[in-house]
Amino acid sequence: MLQRTLAAALALALGLSLLGGWVGPAAPAQAQKTQDTLVVYTYSSFVSYGAAQAVAQAFKAQTGAQVRFVATGDSRIMLAKLITERDVTGHPPADAFIGVEVNDLGTAEKHDVFVPLSAKDIPNLADVPPEIQFDPTGKLIPYEHGFITLVYDSRKLSAAQVPHTFKELLDPKFRKQLILEDPRTSSPGLSFLLWTIAQFGDPSYLDYWKQLMPNILTITQSWDAAFDLFSKGEAPLMVSFSTDHAYDVIVNKSDRIRVLTLNGEGYRTIFGMGVVKGATHPQLAKELLNIVLSPEVQSQLPETEWMFPANLNATARPIWWQNAVVPSRPVELPAAQVSANLKRWIAQWVKTVLGS
Amino acid sequence: MGQDGSRQLTPLLRRAGRVTLIALPLLFLGLFFYYPLAGLVQSGLSSNTGFTLERLTRIFSDSYLRHVLLFTVEEALLSTLASVALGLPLAYLLTAYDFPGKRWIKSLTIVPFALPAITVALGFILVFGNNGALNRGLMALFHLSSPPLAILYSLQGIVLAHAFYNAPIVTRFVAAAWERLSPRYEESARALGAPRWRVFLNITLPMLMPALASGAALAFIYSFLSFPIVLALGGARFSTIEVEIYRRAIIQINYSGAAALATLELLIALLFTLGYLRLAARYARHLQLATPRPTRSLLTGPAGPRRWLIYAFIAASALLFVAPIAAVLLDSFSRTWQDQTVFTLDWYLAIFRPTYSSLIAASPLQSIWNSLSFAGASMVIALTLGTGLALNLTRRRFVGRSLLELLVMAPLGISSVALGLALLRTFVRPPLALSGHWIAIVIAHSILAIPFVIRAVRPALERLAPRLSEAAHALGASPARTTWEIVLPLIRPGLLTGAVFAFAISIAEMSATIMLTRPGLLTMPVAVYRFLATRQFGAASAMSVLLIAVIALAFVLIERSGERALRG
Repeated sequence: MLQRTLAAALALALGLSLLGGWVGPAAPAQAQKTQDTLVVYTYSSFVSYGAAQAVAQAFKAQTGAQVRFVATGDSRIMLAKLITERDVTGHPPADAFIGVEVNDLGTAEKHDVFVPLSAKDIPNLADVPPEIQFDPTGKLIPYEHGFITLVYDSRKLSAAQVPHTFKELLDPKFRKQLILEDPRTSSPGLSFLLWTIAQFGDPSYLDYWKQLMPNILTITQSWDAAFDLFSKGEAPLMVSFSTDHAYDVIVNKSDRIRVLTLNGEGYRTIFGMGVVKGATHPQLAKELLNIVLSPEVQSQLPETEWMFPANLNATARPIWWQNAVVPSRPVELPAAQVSANLKRWIAQWVKTVLGS
Repeated sequence: MGQDGSRQLTPLLRRAGRVTLIALPLLFLGLFFYYPLAGLVQSGLSSNTGFTLERLTRIFSDSYLRHVLLFTVEEALLSTLASVALGLPLAYLLTAYDFPGKRWIKSLTIVPFALPAITVALGFILVFGNNGALNRGLMALFHLSSPPLAILYSLQGIVLAHAFYNAPIVTRFVAAAWERLSPRYEESARALGAPRWRVFLNITLPMLMPALASGAALAFIYSFLSFPIVLALGGARFSTIEVEIYRRAIIQINYSGAAALATLELLIALLFTLGYLRLAARYARHLQLATPRPTRSLLTGPAGPRRWLIYAFIAASALLFVAPIAAVLLDSFSRTWQDQTVFTLDWYLAIFRPTYSSLIAASPLQSIWNSLSFAGASMVIALTLGTGLALNLTRRRFVGRSLLELLVMAPLGISSVALGLALLRTFVRPPLALSGHWIAIVIAHSILAIPFVIRAVRPALERLAPRLSEAAHALGASPARTTWEIVLPLIRPGLLTGAVFAFAISIAEMSATIMLTRPGLLTMPVAVYRFLATRQFGAASAMSVLLIAVIALAFVLIERSGERALRG
């Protein structure tokens, strides 16, 4: 009796699962094929802080079409997801992608993800300054930029105690006081690594890292893990964005987080977007990119993305401009040099910093 | 239906039932585990030109990966030791002593095991961090200017967190065996003048060995495959193989490199599984059915220094197991406003406000419902399939039994990252195009849970005196009836443990789920993760508290209803 009962339960369970399997995937597949729904892959905070909603509304008003954002991870995870899914199924799962960091240009290029765009495809590009148009092939369009700097916890360190140069950061009094992000997995982490290379040259940057080791509390996988530790007071120094003070003032009504520009510098980070090669709706995708660059959407980026808008005609509240720090000396390595050396730089860093 | 017809049909049905009992679980594992796994291993062992071991050998020639490999083994061994050192005394306390609320505490011992790693990491940072409650307390107490204890962001932090997770497994397994241990041998030895410690070492411990080995082996394998805890509490300087697999597969778009590492990891984990199966078989004994063990009151029972030792141990355990959970609870009710920490209900109001749902792409209520229904479905599937396999593995002797055992226990050795990856690639194309369907998540959870069910049910089956079934047989009961009316009620504790573990694994699972999920299928741990990723730390804590409450409630309910149903 028991065996029959068990067998029946088993058959039922398996039958249901198979039935569910055949019925199930039809729904999302159909939704994807619906004519007027544009699928956009982006990173989770683009959706969760509200920028995506502004884009979707403007897009619907202008084209009458719907846009569906898929954002289940941060930008590098989503780019990898797009590439993996395309390689496995043979067709790209999205029409457009928002959120390729300048240093991932090489990855996008290597996997041939995006199509070239011309100036008439994206009229709003005319209002974007040339110095942040990072992709010489014209595939990735910048929509926001910012600066990687150090930030410090003013409750733990006074303004007199903080380091002002890379050298001062090596002081033993900062032992285990610095939170960093892993350059293999995090964009700010990679920017900081590139910043040290710009500062000390190749291969001297490795010597700097060896000396920096005792002062590092931990190297987190992602920026948000690092920011979580920093917020909880685990260490007073962190590699983060030059807009963090503005965020703290505006959102938390606090003056706890302050920005620290070593040598007056900050490493420039730029985020781009593009139309995916093989997209079902390339024309709609181009319209979407143009809308992201429109002054209306761009003016919402400072306080949703906590980044500087790419469009010069975008506006922001005075409180934003008073508290978002623009370093007097922005630093960046040429994109071509980064693409050519990135793999080796990271491998050397892993060997020196992690492999000992 | 006439009497004659059914009499002729019965042997046929019986045989069909027996075949189904073993064939269906194997079909399930074949389709949803071995088929995807074969694709994974193939990617790890092939290049453009065909079969190659190059990717595997390259792992050993890379000094960084060798370092990662060694570290993984080291932390797993230390974590296992710590889990046994904590879990065994806890099992003793639960078996030998009585105290108010013991039934509840026993039900709740498994809660730590079911918590998602991000919640545990959160609790650990709040308690054991540089700015955590422990350090701040010590600083205030001794007027120190800097935190005296550096616990986290190091090997010991990882080991401590793994002990938090795995000591309850050891406790659970050992206590279940201990309760059913006849006290007669120990009593005789004591009467003959043997000191307490010798009785424990020479009599009790050997009899507990199968359960202890089961628990320790699970602790080892779980620590060996650990991923989010290592990431959160260790950082990049303390990487395990699993973390490297994740990095390669999810971020570096190096699927074959990830597959090669996963293959190696699977080989090592299988080796341990095999070694453990041997060990457990050697120690397996038919024990007496339980005569109730005498218990003493914890409040009045122990005397002298022994009493203080026990109380100190309880205090330390409370610090490890209760404090992190309490800290998350406190955190969910506080908010920093103009640099002051104040009490607030905002986070709870916020996660139930409809506008918040866009943050995690689903409403919190829906994620609770998803988590519960996925866990319920996975529990039913894993318990049915796992018990069917365990009955076959225990009762019948047949050619290839050890091979079958290894085959069905293999999901234990698979990293959930690798499993998620393999399933994702299988599910996006025919013939198993389940991508984006809830059943894909339930399948992944069931696969991960089946070995735990077998592990929980088998020792109970092996302890069963065979003459009971023989007697039932002799009295004319069919094998099915014997199983239903004699065997299943007697292995009740094992079944319950299996059910609880299956439920726990499903509700806490995140690594594979996050790969298979889509917006409507969000689970609670993934919701916590999404909140953290968007600086909603308070909301993450509130969601974690909700998850802990749901888990604790579910465990108490499963155990109580299970006890009642099986007793009746």
